[in-house]
Amino acid sequence: MLKFIPYVLKSLWRHRARTLLTVSGTAIALSVFCFIGSVQQGLLALTSGANAERTLIVFQENRFCPQSSKLPQDYERTIAKMPGVQEVVPIKVFTNNCRASLDAIVFQGMPAEQLKSARQLELASGNWNAFDQQDDAALVGQDIAARRGLAAGDKFTIGDVSVVVRGVFRSPVAAENSLIYTHLDFLQRARGANEVGIVTQLEVHLADTADPDTVSKQIDGAFRAGPVATTTRTKGMFQTDTLGDLAELIGFVHWLGYACVGLVLSLVATTTVMSVQDRIKEHAVLQTLGVRPLRVFRLVLIESLVLSAIGGLLGVLASTAILSTTGMSIAAEGVTIAFEPSLVLATQGLVVAIAVGILAGLVPGWQASRTEIVPALRHA
Amino acid sequence: MSLVDVLNVTKEYANGDETIRPLDGVSLSIHEGDYVSLMGASGSGKSTLLNLIAGIDQVASGEIVVAGTDITKLSRGKLADWRAAHIGYVFQTHNLIPVLTAYENVELPLLLLPMSAAERRKRVEIALEAVDLTPRASHYPRQMSGGQEQRVGIARAIVASPTIIVADEPTGSLDDETTEQILSLLSRVNDELGMTLLMVTHDADAGARARRQVRLERGRLMENGKETKATTLRTA
Repeated sequence: MLKFIPYVLKSLWRHRARTLLTVSGTAIALSVFCFIGSVQQGLLALTSGANAERTLIVFQENRFCPQSSKLPQDYERTIAKMPGVQEVVPIKVFTNNCRASLDAIVFQGMPAEQLKSARQLELASGNWNAFDQQDDAALVGQDIAARRGLAAGDKFTIGDVSVVVRGVFRSPVAAENSLIYTHLDFLQRARGANEVGIVTQLEVHLADTADPDTVSKQIDGAFRAGPVATTTRTKGMFQTDTLGDLAELIGFVHWLGYACVGLVLSLVATTTVMSVQDRIKEHAVLQTLGVRPLRVFRLVLIESLVLSAIGGLLGVLASTAILSTTGMSIAAEGVTIAFEPSLVLATQGLVVAIAVGILAGLVPGWQASRTEIVPALRHA
Repeated sequence: MSLVDVLNVTKEYANGDETIRPLDGVSLSIHEGDYVSLMGASGSGKSTLLNLIAGIDQVASGEIVVAGTDITKLSRGKLADWRAAHIGYVFQTHNLIPVLTAYENVELPLLLLPMSAAERRKRVEIALEAVDLTPRASHYPRQMSGGQEQRVGIARAIVASPTIIVADEPTGSLDDETTEQILSLLSRVNDELGMTLLMVTHDADAGARARRQVRLERGRLMENGKETKATTLRTA
C-alpha cells in the first residue's frame, strides 16, 4: 500500500484549493477542540486531586467575592489546635475584577515563610532574599508575567495596589502561574486601608489521617457563635462553588467540542465524496489495471485520513503553541482556571482527527470500491 | 493450444422491459502470439466481448478460459489480481492518470505485482524505450499530444508482460498519421515481443493489419465467412 502513497498525495494536491481549505477548516476546528479541552482540564485540576481534596478553605459564611470575606486572622490559632490540622495559612486576596474575566489580576498575600513551605514555587528569575527584604515586593506567576510583559525589577500597579516584581516563578499547579504573591501585611494595608488582622480566607492543611468533613464541621462549629461565622469546604469544593456559573458554562462548552468533531467529519467527508465523484472513471481505470476493490477503498480512506490528520496535527500544534506561550487563563471571584496544554490533550486531538478521518472515508471509499468498471469507463 | 477460449458466451442487457443480447452463444479461440482484430458495426458487441475477455464485465452464460483459468468463476478481488498479472489494456481515450508522469503511469501496473524497485525501474525504462518516449518520462499527460499519450498507454499495457493485450479502438481518437504510428507500434509489439493481441476496431484498414480478422454480426462471430468455434476446453 505504501507504494501508492505518492499517488494519494498527488491526488490530494490535484485540487489544492479544496484540499487546503479542508485542511485549514479541520485545523481550526481541532484547535478549538483543544482549547475547550484545555479549559476543562484546568477546571478539573482545580476541583480534583490530592491538593483539592486534602486542603480546606475557611471563608466567611454566605460570602463569595473575596473582597467581602473578612475573617479575623486569629482564627488561625484556634484552628491550628484542632485535631487533624497540620498547618493553617492566612491569606488575603485582592482582585481587580470579581466577575469572570480573561485578564483578571489576582493578588494573594501570605506570610513569606508559609509561602515558601506551602507552595512549590520555583523562581525562574529574581530571588527570595529580595522578596523577603522588601514590603511591597511581589512574586509573579510566569503566565501573568508573559501576559503583562513583567520581569524582575519592574514596578506594577493595578488599581491602588503598586508592587515591585522581585521574582517570576513557575508552579506545578497551573492555576498558580496566573497569581501574584505578596507579603500578607502589605496587602492588608494596601489601598489606604488598615485591615491588619483581617484575612480573606484561611487555608487548612490536613494530616494524612484526618477526615476533611469532620474537621470542616469542627471549624464551622467553633466559630458559629463567634464574631464572624465561617463556611469550611475542601479546596476543590470551594473552587467549584466559587466558580459557580462559570463552571457550569465550561461544563456545557464540551458540547462545542463535540460540534467541532462533527464539523471536521462533515468537512472531510464532503471533500472526499467530491474527490471520489470527480474520479469515477479513474477508479475504474485503476480497477481495470488490476487494483482490487478493497485497495481502492483503502486508497480513498487514506486520502480522507491524510486530510484529517494533517489538519488535526496543525490544529493541535497551533493550539498547543498558543496555550504554552500566552499563559491564558480565566478567573472569577479570585479563583483562576488555567488553560492547560498537555501531551494527553494533544494526543486526544490527534486520535480524534485520525478517527474522524477514517470515519469520513468509509462511505466514499465503499462507493468507489463498488464502482462497476464498464459503465464507469464510459463516464465523462 | 489456445491461450484464450471463449465458450458459448452470451451477454444480455436489460433496457427497460426489453432484453438486449449483443452476444448470443459466441465461441472463439485465440492462440499464443496471435494478432486478432475484432470488427463489426457500432453497437454490435465487439467492445463487450473484449471487456469480457479482459475480465471487467460479466457473462450471462458460458465460459471464458484464459491461460487455463475460467475467469467467469473468479470473485471480484481474484479477478482484479488476475487482470494485474494477465491483461494489458489499451483504452481508446488513453485514460492515463493525470496526476502521474508518463513514467509513473507506466509503472502503475507493476506496483500491483511482487517486484523490486530496481526491477520495476528496468521494466519501465524498457517499455518507454519500446514506444520511443524515454525523453518524455517525466512529462504529465497534459504536456503530451494524443499520440504520445496513447503510446504511454501502450507502454503501460506491455510493461508487465501480460498474457494478452486487449486494445479497444486504440486509434479511434487519433488523426491518420498518428493512427499509422500506433498501428505500427502494435504490430511491433506482436512481431518483436511476441505478445498476443486482440484489437477491437471499426476501421477496416486498421483491422486488416492483424493476422486474423474476426467480425461480429448480429451476435455471432464470423471468421473467413464461417462462424468461429473454440478449439480446446481447459479449466483450471
